[in-house]
Amino acid sequence: MIEFRNVEKIYSNGVKALSSASFKIENGEFVFVVGESGAGKSTILKLLLKEIDPTSGDIIVAGQNLRDMEERDIPYYRRGLGVVFQDFRLLSDRDVYDNVAFAMEIVEAPRKEIRRRVPMVLAMVGLSSKAKCYPNELSGGEQQRVSMARALVNRPSILIADEPSGNLDPATADGIMEIVEMANRRGTTVIMATHAKDIVDTMAKRVITLKNGVIVRDEEKGGYFNED
Amino acid sequence: MKIRTWHSFFKQGIKSAFGNKTMSVASIVAITAALCVLGVVMLVVLNLNYLMDDLESKSEVTVFLEKDVELSDIKGIEAKIKNWDGVNEVEFVSKSSALESWKEDLDDKAYLLDGYEGAENPLPHSFVIGIEKPEYTEDIASKAETLPQVMKVNYSKEVAESLGKVVHTVRLIGFVIVLILAVIAAIIIHNTVRLTVYSRRREIKIMKYIGATDWYIRWPFIIEGFTIGMTGSLIAIVIIMPLYKYVLNKLAGQHLEEGFFVNIFKLLPLGDVVNTILLVFILVGVSVGVIGSVMSIRKHLKV
Repeated sequence: MIEFRNVEKIYSNGVKALSSASFKIENGEFVFVVGESGAGKSTILKLLLKEIDPTSGDIIVAGQNLRDMEERDIPYYRRGLGVVFQDFRLLSDRDVYDNVAFAMEIVEAPRKEIRRRVPMVLAMVGLSSKAKCYPNELSGGEQQRVSMARALVNRPSILIADEPSGNLDPATADGIMEIVEMANRRGTTVIMATHAKDIVDTMAKRVITLKNGVIVRDEEKGGYFNED
Repeated sequence: MKIRTWHSFFKQGIKSAFGNKTMSVASIVAITAALCVLGVVMLVVLNLNYLMDDLESKSEVTVFLEKDVELSDIKGIEAKIKNWDGVNEVEFVSKSSALESWKEDLDDKAYLLDGYEGAENPLPHSFVIGIEKPEYTEDIASKAETLPQVMKVNYSKEVAESLGKVVHTVRLIGFVIVLILAVIAAIIIHNTVRLTVYSRRREIKIMKYIGATDWYIRWPFIIEGFTIGMTGSLIAIVIIMPLYKYVLNKLAGQHLEEGFFVNIFKLLPLGDVVNTILLVFILVGVSVGVIGSVMSIRKHLKV
Protein backbone atom coordinates (compact mmCIF):
# COMPACT_ATOMS: atom_id res chain seq x y z
CA MET A 1 0.00 0.00 0.00
CA ILE A 2 1.13 3.53 -0.80
CA GLU A 3 0.04 6.47 1.30
CA PHE A 4 0.69 10.21 0.96
CA ARG A 5 -0.11 12.18 4.12
CA ASN A 6 -0.26 15.95 3.70
CA VAL A 7 2.73 15.90 1.44
CA GLU A 8 4.15 19.25 0.45
CA LYS A 9 7.08 19.87 -1.85
CA ILE A 10 8.70 23.22 -2.35
CA TYR A 11 11.75 23.12 -4.60
CA SER A 12 14.88 25.05 -3.70
CA ASN A 13 13.99 27.69 -6.31
CA GLY A 14 10.83 28.42 -4.32
CA VAL A 15 8.39 26.67 -6.65
CA LYS A 16 5.62 24.96 -4.73
CA ALA A 17 5.12 21.77 -6.71
CA LEU A 18 2.78 19.96 -4.38
CA SER A 19 0.68 21.09 -1.43
CA SER A 20 -1.08 19.01 1.21
CA ALA A 21 -1.44 16.00 -1.03
CA SER A 22 -3.10 13.05 0.68
CA PHE A 23 -4.17 9.78 -0.90
CA LYS A 24 -3.94 6.03 -0.48
CA ILE A 25 -3.29 3.45 -3.16
CA GLU A 26 -4.08 -0.16 -2.36
CA ASN A 27 -1.99 -3.08 -3.54
CA GLY A 28 -2.85 -4.08 -7.08
CA GLU A 29 -4.60 -0.80 -7.87
CA PHE A 30 -4.24 1.03 -11.18
CA VAL A 31 -4.08 4.79 -10.79
CA PHE A 32 -3.70 7.55 -13.35
CA VAL A 33 -2.20 10.82 -12.21
CA VAL A 34 -3.32 13.55 -14.61
CA GLY A 35 -2.93 17.29 -14.92
CA GLU A 36 -1.27 19.90 -17.05
CA SER A 37 2.50 20.24 -17.31
CA GLY A 38 3.82 21.56 -14.02
CA ALA A 39 0.75 20.40 -12.10
CA GLY A 40 2.89 18.15 -9.90
CA LYS A 41 2.59 14.73 -11.57
CA SER A 42 6.31 14.17 -11.94
CA THR A 43 6.88 15.44 -8.42
CA ILE A 44 4.64 12.68 -7.06
CA LEU A 45 6.57 10.05 -9.02
CA LYS A 46 9.95 11.45 -7.96
CA LEU A 47 8.83 11.44 -4.35
CA LEU A 48 7.76 7.82 -4.71
CA LEU A 49 11.17 6.92 -6.15
CA LYS A 50 12.77 8.82 -3.28
CA GLU A 51 14.69 10.82 -5.83
CA ILE A 52 13.55 13.85 -3.85
CA ASP A 53 12.23 14.24 -0.32
CA PRO A 54 9.04 16.06 0.67
CA THR A 55 9.33 19.43 2.38
CA SER A 56 6.73 18.22 4.86
CA GLY A 57 4.31 15.34 5.25
CA ASP A 58 4.87 11.60 5.08
CA ILE A 59 5.01 9.03 2.32
CA ILE A 60 4.49 5.45 3.37
CA VAL A 61 5.21 2.58 1.01
CA ALA A 62 4.59 -1.00 2.11
CA GLY A 63 4.50 0.10 5.74
CA GLN A 64 7.75 2.02 5.56
CA ASN A 65 7.95 5.78 5.96
CA LEU A 66 10.29 7.01 3.22
CA ARG A 67 11.39 9.82 5.50
CA ASP A 68 13.05 7.33 7.85
CA MET A 69 14.74 5.41 5.08
CA GLU A 70 18.54 5.39 5.25
CA GLU A 71 20.46 6.54 2.18
CA ARG A 72 22.02 3.11 1.77
CA ASP A 73 18.63 1.37 1.78
CA ILE A 74 17.28 3.37 -1.16
CA PRO A 75 18.68 1.00 -3.84
CA TYR A 76 16.99 -1.98 -2.17
CA TYR A 77 13.73 -0.06 -1.91
CA ARG A 78 13.92 0.84 -5.62
CA ARG A 79 14.35 -2.81 -6.56
CA GLY A 80 10.73 -3.25 -5.60
CA LEU A 81 9.72 -0.56 -8.10
CA GLY A 82 9.68 -0.73 -11.89
CA VAL A 83 10.13 2.59 -13.69
CA VAL A 84 9.24 3.60 -17.24
CA PHE A 85 9.94 7.02 -18.71
CA GLN A 86 8.57 8.97 -21.61
CA ASP A 87 12.01 9.00 -23.27
CA PHE A 88 12.61 5.24 -22.78
CA ARG A 89 16.15 5.71 -21.40
CA LEU A 90 17.68 2.67 -23.01
CA LEU A 91 21.41 2.11 -23.27
CA SER A 92 22.27 2.69 -26.91
CA ASP A 93 25.42 0.54 -26.85
CA ARG A 94 23.59 -2.61 -25.75
CA ASP A 95 21.12 -4.75 -27.65
CA VAL A 96 17.57 -5.39 -26.50
CA TYR A 97 18.46 -8.53 -24.59
CA ASP A 98 21.32 -6.84 -22.72
CA ASN A 99 19.23 -3.77 -21.93
CA VAL A 100 16.78 -6.01 -20.11
CA ALA A 101 19.41 -8.32 -18.61
CA PHE A 102 21.20 -5.22 -17.31
CA ALA A 103 18.41 -4.65 -14.77
CA MET A 104 18.94 -8.16 -13.43
CA GLU A 105 22.74 -7.92 -13.44
CA ILE A 106 22.59 -4.82 -11.29
CA VAL A 107 20.70 -6.67 -8.59
CA GLU A 108 23.12 -9.57 -9.06
CA ALA A 109 20.51 -12.10 -10.06
CA PRO A 110 21.88 -15.58 -10.75
CA ARG A 111 22.97 -15.99 -14.35
CA LYS A 112 20.66 -18.94 -14.83
CA GLU A 113 17.75 -16.85 -13.69
CA ILE A 114 18.72 -14.06 -16.12
CA ARG A 115 18.85 -16.50 -19.03
CA ARG A 116 15.43 -17.83 -18.09
CA ARG A 117 13.60 -14.60 -17.33
CA VAL A 118 14.82 -12.16 -19.97
CA PRO A 119 13.43 -14.18 -22.93
CA MET A 120 10.21 -14.68 -20.99
CA VAL A 121 9.71 -10.96 -20.45
CA LEU A 122 10.71 -10.16 -24.04
CA ALA A 123 8.05 -12.63 -25.21
CA MET A 124 5.53 -10.93 -22.94
CA VAL A 125 6.16 -7.53 -24.56
CA GLY A 126 6.26 -9.12 -28.01
CA LEU A 127 9.91 -8.50 -28.81
CA SER A 128 11.37 -12.02 -28.89
CA SER A 129 12.44 -11.59 -32.49
CA LYS A 130 14.25 -8.30 -31.80
CA ALA A 131 16.45 -9.47 -28.93
CA LYS A 132 19.62 -8.85 -30.93
CA CYS A 133 18.59 -5.40 -32.19
CA TYR A 134 20.04 -2.16 -30.87
CA PRO A 135 17.72 0.63 -29.65
CA ASN A 136 18.38 2.81 -32.72
CA GLU A 137 17.12 0.00 -34.93
CA LEU A 138 13.75 -0.01 -33.18
CA SER A 139 10.65 2.14 -33.50
CA GLY A 140 9.56 4.32 -30.58
CA GLY A 141 6.89 1.82 -29.57
CA GLU A 142 9.37 -1.03 -29.64
CA GLN A 143 11.85 0.96 -27.56
CA GLN A 144 9.18 1.65 -25.00
CA ARG A 145 8.40 -2.06 -24.86
CA VAL A 146 12.05 -2.77 -24.15
CA SER A 147 11.92 -0.28 -21.34
CA MET A 148 8.71 -1.95 -20.08
CA ALA A 149 10.46 -5.30 -20.18
CA ARG A 150 13.36 -3.83 -18.23
CA ALA A 151 10.99 -2.37 -15.65
CA LEU A 152 9.11 -5.64 -15.21
CA VAL A 153 11.91 -8.19 -15.38
CA ASN A 154 12.67 -7.95 -11.66
CA ARG A 155 8.98 -8.45 -10.85
CA PRO A 156 8.38 -5.16 -9.08
CA SER A 157 5.36 -4.84 -6.83
CA ILE A 158 4.84 -1.26 -8.04
CA LEU A 159 5.17 0.02 -11.61
CA ILE A 160 5.77 3.75 -11.93
CA ALA A 161 5.25 5.14 -15.42
CA ASP A 162 5.93 8.75 -16.35
CA GLU A 163 3.97 9.45 -19.54
CA PRO A 164 5.03 6.19 -21.17
CA SER A 165 2.94 6.85 -24.24
CA GLY A 166 3.82 10.52 -24.49
CA ASN A 167 6.07 10.07 -27.53
CA LEU A 168 3.98 7.43 -29.27
CA ASP A 169 1.12 7.47 -31.77
CA PRO A 170 -2.27 6.31 -30.41
CA ALA A 171 -2.15 2.78 -31.87
CA THR A 172 1.32 2.14 -30.48
CA ALA A 173 0.32 3.67 -27.17
CA ASP A 174 -2.52 1.16 -26.92
CA GLY A 175 0.00 -1.65 -27.29
CA ILE A 176 2.00 -0.25 -24.39
CA MET A 177 -1.14 0.10 -22.29
CA GLU A 178 -1.96 -3.55 -22.91
CA ILE A 179 1.36 -4.52 -21.37
CA VAL A 180 0.76 -2.24 -18.40
CA GLU A 181 -2.67 -3.75 -17.89
CA MET A 182 -1.27 -7.23 -18.12
CA ALA A 183 1.26 -6.42 -15.41
CA ASN A 184 -1.56 -4.94 -13.34
CA ARG A 185 -3.68 -8.08 -13.75
CA ARG A 186 -0.75 -10.07 -12.38
CA GLY A 187 -0.93 -8.01 -9.20
CA THR A 188 1.48 -5.14 -9.87
CA THR A 189 0.31 -1.79 -8.51
CA VAL A 190 0.45 0.76 -11.35
CA ILE A 191 0.85 4.50 -10.98
CA MET A 192 0.94 6.32 -14.29
CA ALA A 193 1.33 10.00 -14.95
CA THR A 194 -0.16 10.88 -18.29
CA HIS A 195 -1.53 13.49 -20.64
CA ALA A 196 -3.33 10.98 -22.81
CA LYS A 197 -7.01 11.83 -22.46
CA ASP A 198 -8.14 8.93 -24.69
CA ILE A 199 -6.34 6.33 -22.68
CA VAL A 200 -7.60 7.63 -19.35
CA ASP A 201 -11.15 7.87 -20.56
CA THR A 202 -11.33 4.45 -22.22
CA MET A 203 -9.64 2.53 -19.40
CA ALA A 204 -11.94 3.84 -16.70
CA LYS A 205 -9.51 3.45 -13.81
CA ARG A 206 -8.97 5.56 -10.72
CA VAL A 207 -7.83 9.07 -11.66
CA ILE A 208 -6.08 11.58 -9.43
CA THR A 209 -6.25 15.04 -11.00
CA LEU A 210 -3.72 17.70 -10.06
CA LYS A 211 -3.85 21.42 -10.64
CA ASN A 212 -1.06 23.73 -9.57
CA GLY A 213 0.22 21.21 -7.09
CA VAL A 214 -3.17 20.54 -5.50
CA ILE A 215 -5.24 17.37 -5.85
CA VAL A 216 -8.51 18.71 -7.22
CA ARG A 217 -10.19 15.38 -7.93
CA ASP A 218 -9.70 11.75 -6.96
CA GLU A 219 -12.27 9.44 -8.52
CA GLU A 220 -12.80 5.72 -9.00
CA LYS A 221 -13.38 4.96 -12.68
CA GLY A 222 -12.71 8.59 -13.48
CA GLY A 223 -12.04 10.45 -16.69
CA TYR A 224 -9.71 13.11 -17.93
CA PHE A 225 -11.30 16.45 -17.19
CA ASN A 226 -10.42 19.69 -18.83
CA GLU A 227 -11.08 22.48 -16.44
CA ASP A 228 -11.48 25.12 -19.07
CA MET B 1 29.52 -8.96 -4.50
CA LYS B 2 29.85 -11.88 -6.82
CA ILE B 3 33.01 -12.81 -8.68
CA ARG B 4 31.13 -12.37 -11.95
CA THR B 5 30.25 -8.81 -10.91
CA TRP B 6 33.89 -8.06 -10.05
CA HIS B 7 34.93 -9.48 -13.35
CA SER B 8 32.68 -7.05 -15.20
CA PHE B 9 33.83 -4.17 -12.96
CA PHE B 10 37.46 -4.82 -13.90
CA LYS B 11 36.64 -5.22 -17.56
CA GLN B 12 34.77 -1.93 -17.61
CA GLY B 13 37.30 -0.05 -15.49
CA ILE B 14 40.37 -1.14 -17.44
CA LYS B 15 38.61 -0.60 -20.74
CA SER B 16 37.75 2.99 -19.91
CA ALA B 17 41.18 3.67 -18.35
CA PHE B 18 42.70 3.25 -21.79
CA GLY B 19 39.58 4.23 -23.71
CA ASN B 20 40.12 7.96 -24.07
CA LYS B 21 43.70 8.00 -25.35
CA THR B 22 44.57 11.67 -24.89
CA MET B 23 43.20 11.98 -21.38
CA SER B 24 44.60 8.63 -20.30
CA VAL B 25 48.06 9.55 -21.52
CA ALA B 26 47.82 12.94 -19.81
CA SER B 27 46.82 11.30 -16.52
CA ILE B 28 49.51 8.67 -16.68
CA VAL B 29 52.20 11.22 -17.56
CA ALA B 30 51.06 13.43 -14.68
CA ILE B 31 51.35 10.59 -12.18
CA THR B 32 54.65 9.40 -13.60
CA ALA B 33 56.12 12.91 -13.44
CA ALA B 34 54.94 13.45 -9.87
CA LEU B 35 56.36 10.11 -8.80
CA CYS B 36 59.70 10.68 -10.53
CA VAL B 37 60.16 13.92 -8.60
CA LEU B 38 59.05 12.14 -5.44
CA GLY B 39 61.56 9.41 -6.22
CA VAL B 40 64.47 11.82 -6.59
CA VAL B 41 63.55 13.61 -3.37
CA MET B 42 63.18 10.31 -1.56
CA LEU B 43 66.52 9.02 -2.77
CA VAL B 44 68.28 12.23 -1.74
CA VAL B 45 66.68 12.17 1.71
CA LEU B 46 67.29 8.46 2.21
CA ASN B 47 70.94 8.90 1.32
CA LEU B 48 71.36 11.97 3.51
CA ASN B 49 69.86 10.05 6.42
CA TYR B 50 72.18 7.21 5.73
CA LEU B 51 75.14 9.57 5.59
CA MET B 52 74.04 11.16 8.85
CA ASP B 53 73.76 7.81 10.61
CA ASP B 54 77.16 6.96 9.30
CA LEU B 55 78.64 10.19 10.59
CA GLU B 56 76.99 9.76 13.95
CA SER B 57 78.29 6.25 14.35
CA LYS B 58 81.74 7.66 13.74
CA SER B 59 81.38 10.53 16.17
CA GLU B 60 84.56 11.54 17.78
CA VAL B 61 85.95 14.50 19.66
CA THR B 62 89.37 15.84 18.87
CA VAL B 63 91.16 17.61 21.69
CA PHE B 64 94.13 19.79 20.70
CA LEU B 65 96.64 20.46 23.45
CA GLU B 66 98.69 23.56 24.19
CA LYS B 67 102.07 23.66 22.50
CA ASP B 68 104.03 23.63 25.72
CA VAL B 69 102.30 20.66 27.24
CA GLU B 70 104.54 18.25 29.16
CA LEU B 71 104.57 14.52 28.57
CA SER B 72 103.48 13.89 32.16
CA ASP B 73 100.49 16.21 31.69
CA ILE B 74 99.55 14.28 28.57
CA LYS B 75 99.44 11.03 30.54
CA GLY B 76 97.30 12.68 33.20
CA ILE B 77 94.85 14.08 30.67
CA GLU B 78 94.55 10.76 28.91
CA ALA B 79 93.78 9.01 32.19
CA LYS B 80 91.10 11.57 33.04
CA ILE B 81 89.40 11.28 29.67
CA LYS B 82 89.39 7.50 29.85
CA ASN B 83 87.35 7.72 33.05
CA TRP B 84 84.49 9.69 31.51
CA ASP B 85 81.16 8.07 30.69
CA GLY B 86 80.59 7.33 27.03
CA VAL B 87 84.22 7.27 26.05
CA ASN B 88 85.07 4.31 23.87
CA GLU B 89 88.73 4.81 23.25
CA VAL B 90 91.30 7.53 23.47
CA GLU B 91 94.00 7.77 20.86
CA PHE B 92 96.95 10.04 21.31
CA VAL B 93 98.14 11.72 18.12
CA SER B 94 101.54 13.26 18.61
CA LYS B 95 102.49 16.40 16.69
CA SER B 96 104.94 14.39 14.60
CA SER B 97 102.43 11.74 13.61
CA ALA B 98 99.93 14.53 12.80
CA LEU B 99 102.52 16.00 10.47
CA GLU B 100 103.13 12.59 8.95
CA SER B 101 99.48 12.04 8.15
CA TRP B 102 99.20 15.55 6.72
CA LYS B 103 102.11 14.73 4.45
CA GLU B 104 100.39 11.55 3.40
CA ASP B 105 97.28 13.55 2.52
CA LEU B 106 99.34 15.94 0.44
CA ASP B 107 100.86 12.99 -1.38
CA ASP B 108 103.21 14.30 -4.11
CA LYS B 109 103.07 17.80 -2.68
CA ALA B 110 104.39 16.59 0.67
CA TYR B 111 107.59 18.54 0.03
CA LEU B 112 105.64 21.65 1.00
CA LEU B 113 105.93 20.55 4.61
CA ASP B 114 109.67 19.95 4.45
CA GLY B 115 111.46 21.80 7.20
CA TYR B 116 108.59 21.67 9.65
CA GLU B 117 109.83 18.51 11.34
CA GLY B 118 110.98 18.35 14.92
CA ALA B 119 111.07 21.60 16.84
CA GLU B 120 109.71 23.52 13.85
CA ASN B 121 106.53 21.47 13.82
CA PRO B 122 103.65 23.99 14.22
CA LEU B 123 101.05 21.33 14.90
CA PRO B 124 99.77 20.57 18.40
CA HIS B 125 99.55 17.21 20.12
CA SER B 126 96.00 15.91 20.20
CA PHE B 127 93.68 13.24 21.50
CA VAL B 128 91.02 11.63 19.35
CA ILE B 129 88.21 10.45 21.61
CA GLY B 130 85.95 7.76 20.22
CA ILE B 131 82.40 8.17 21.55
CA GLU B 132 80.00 5.32 22.30
CA LYS B 133 76.83 7.18 21.30
CA PRO B 134 76.42 10.47 19.44
CA GLU B 135 74.38 11.99 22.28
CA TYR B 136 77.45 11.94 24.55
CA THR B 137 79.44 14.03 22.10
CA GLU B 138 78.48 17.46 23.33
CA ASP B 139 78.91 16.57 26.98
CA ILE B 140 82.34 15.10 26.46
CA ALA B 141 83.41 18.02 24.28
CA SER B 142 82.44 20.56 26.94
CA LYS B 143 84.20 18.58 29.64
CA ALA B 144 87.29 18.42 27.48
CA GLU B 145 87.25 22.19 27.14
CA THR B 146 87.60 22.61 30.90
CA LEU B 147 90.74 20.48 31.07
CA PRO B 148 94.02 22.30 31.65
CA GLN B 149 96.45 22.52 28.77
CA VAL B 150 93.67 22.19 26.20
CA MET B 151 93.84 24.64 23.31
CA LYS B 152 90.79 23.69 21.25
CA VAL B 153 88.12 21.03 21.05
CA ASN B 154 86.63 19.91 17.73
CA TYR B 155 83.77 17.52 17.26
CA SER B 156 81.64 16.25 14.41
CA LYS B 157 78.36 17.40 15.91
CA GLU B 158 78.41 20.54 13.84
CA VAL B 159 78.68 18.52 10.69
CA ALA B 160 75.87 16.23 11.79
CA GLU B 161 73.76 19.18 12.85
CA SER B 162 74.13 21.12 9.63
CA LEU B 163 73.53 17.95 7.67
CA GLY B 164 70.39 17.44 9.74
CA LYS B 165 69.26 20.90 8.69
CA VAL B 166 69.93 20.08 5.06
CA VAL B 167 67.95 16.85 5.33
CA HIS B 168 65.11 18.73 6.99
CA THR B 169 65.02 21.41 4.28
CA VAL B 170 65.27 18.91 1.45
CA ARG B 171 62.49 16.88 3.01
CA LEU B 172 60.28 19.94 3.43
CA ILE B 173 60.83 21.33 -0.05
CA GLY B 174 60.48 17.86 -1.52
CA PHE B 175 57.27 17.28 0.38
CA VAL B 176 55.77 20.55 -0.87
CA ILE B 177 56.77 19.87 -4.48
CA VAL B 178 55.47 16.32 -4.32
CA LEU B 179 52.24 17.46 -2.71
CA ILE B 180 51.64 20.05 -5.42
CA LEU B 181 52.40 17.51 -8.14
CA ALA B 182 50.16 14.92 -6.51
CA VAL B 183 47.29 17.41 -6.39
CA ILE B 184 47.83 18.28 -10.06
CA ALA B 185 47.91 14.58 -10.94
CA ALA B 186 44.74 13.96 -8.93
CA ILE B 187 42.99 16.82 -10.72
CA ILE B 188 44.00 15.48 -14.13
CA ILE B 189 42.83 11.99 -13.22
CA HIS B 190 39.69 13.50 -11.78
CA ASN B 191 39.02 15.07 -15.17
CA THR B 192 39.78 11.89 -17.07
CA VAL B 193 37.42 9.83 -14.98
CA ARG B 194 34.87 12.63 -15.11
CA LEU B 195 34.83 12.26 -18.88
CA THR B 196 33.97 8.59 -18.50
CA VAL B 197 31.42 9.39 -15.82
CA TYR B 198 29.93 12.07 -18.05
CA SER B 199 29.69 9.78 -21.06
CA ARG B 200 28.01 7.21 -18.86
CA ARG B 201 25.80 9.54 -16.84
CA ARG B 202 22.62 8.24 -18.48
CA GLU B 203 23.61 4.73 -17.64
CA ILE B 204 24.39 5.75 -14.06
CA LYS B 205 21.00 7.37 -13.72
CA ILE B 206 19.23 4.32 -15.07
CA MET B 207 21.26 2.13 -12.74
CA LYS B 208 20.19 4.28 -9.81
CA TYR B 209 16.51 3.98 -10.79
CA ILE B 210 16.73 0.24 -11.15
CA GLY B 211 18.25 -0.04 -7.69
CA ALA B 212 22.01 -0.39 -8.15
CA THR B 213 23.93 0.39 -4.98
CA ASP B 214 26.35 3.31 -5.03
CA TRP B 215 29.25 0.91 -4.69
CA TYR B 216 28.06 -1.09 -7.65
CA ILE B 217 28.25 2.11 -9.70
CA ARG B 218 31.45 3.37 -8.11
CA TRP B 219 33.69 0.34 -8.48
CA PRO B 220 34.34 0.44 -12.25
CA PHE B 221 35.39 4.10 -11.94
CA ILE B 222 37.61 3.37 -8.98
CA ILE B 223 39.22 0.56 -10.95
CA GLU B 224 39.72 3.02 -13.81
CA GLY B 225 41.52 5.43 -11.47
CA PHE B 226 43.45 2.56 -9.93
CA THR B 227 44.59 1.34 -13.35
CA ILE B 228 45.75 4.80 -14.38
CA GLY B 229 47.57 5.26 -11.05
CA MET B 230 49.16 1.83 -11.22
CA THR B 231 50.36 2.33 -14.80
CA GLY B 232 51.86 5.70 -13.87
CA SER B 233 53.65 4.15 -10.88
CA LEU B 234 55.08 1.29 -12.87
CA ILE B 235 56.41 3.65 -15.53
CA ALA B 236 57.95 5.85 -12.82
CA ILE B 237 59.63 2.81 -11.26
CA VAL B 238 61.02 1.80 -14.63
CA ILE B 239 62.46 5.32 -15.02
CA ILE B 240 63.79 5.95 -11.52
CA MET B 241 65.41 2.60 -10.75
CA PRO B 242 67.79 2.44 -13.74
CA LEU B 243 68.53 6.14 -13.19
CA TYR B 244 69.64 5.49 -9.63
CA LYS B 245 71.66 2.51 -10.77
CA TYR B 246 73.35 4.72 -13.34
CA VAL B 247 74.22 7.30 -10.66
CA LEU B 248 75.57 4.54 -8.41
CA ASN B 249 77.76 3.19 -11.17
CA LYS B 250 78.95 6.66 -12.09
CA LEU B 251 79.96 7.36 -8.49
CA ALA B 252 81.50 3.92 -8.11
CA GLY B 253 83.74 4.85 -11.04
CA GLN B 254 84.78 8.01 -9.23
CA HIS B 255 85.51 6.08 -6.05
CA LEU B 256 88.38 4.45 -7.80
CA GLU B 257 89.81 7.75 -9.01
CA GLU B 258 89.34 9.83 -5.88
CA GLY B 259 89.63 8.16 -2.54
CA PHE B 260 87.68 11.05 -1.11
CA PHE B 261 84.33 9.79 -2.31
CA VAL B 262 84.72 6.34 -0.85
CA ASN B 263 84.61 7.75 2.62
CA ILE B 264 82.13 10.57 2.43
CA PHE B 265 79.64 9.91 -0.33
CA LYS B 266 78.70 6.33 0.21
CA LEU B 267 75.28 5.90 -1.45
CA LEU B 268 72.75 3.31 -0.41
CA PRO B 269 72.92 0.25 -2.64
CA LEU B 270 69.97 -0.30 -5.00
CA GLY B 271 68.78 -3.31 -3.03
CA ASP B 272 68.27 -1.17 0.08
CA VAL B 273 66.02 1.39 -1.60
CA VAL B 274 64.13 -0.74 -4.09
CA ASN B 275 61.46 -1.92 -1.64
CA THR B 276 60.79 1.52 -0.20
CA ILE B 277 60.53 3.10 -3.63
CA LEU B 278 58.27 0.33 -4.96
CA LEU B 279 55.97 0.57 -1.96
CA VAL B 280 55.75 4.36 -1.89
CA PHE B 281 55.31 4.70 -5.66
CA ILE B 282 52.52 2.16 -5.89
CA LEU B 283 50.83 3.48 -2.75
CA VAL B 284 50.96 7.12 -3.86
CA GLY B 285 50.12 6.38 -7.51
CA VAL B 286 47.17 4.20 -6.68
CA SER B 287 45.74 6.48 -4.01
CA VAL B 288 46.03 9.56 -6.21
CA GLY B 289 44.23 7.62 -8.97
CA VAL B 290 41.51 6.35 -6.70
CA ILE B 291 40.96 9.69 -4.95
CA GLY B 292 40.75 11.43 -8.33
CA SER B 293 38.07 9.05 -9.54
CA VAL B 294 36.04 8.99 -6.33
CA MET B 295 35.82 12.79 -6.54
CA SER B 296 34.45 12.59 -10.09
CA ILE B 297 31.60 10.19 -9.34
CA ARG B 298 30.31 11.81 -6.17
CA LYS B 299 28.12 14.37 -7.87
CA HIS B 300 26.49 11.88 -10.22
CA LEU B 301 25.43 9.48 -7.52
CA LYS B 302 22.89 11.90 -6.11
CA VAL B 303 19.75 10.66 -7.88
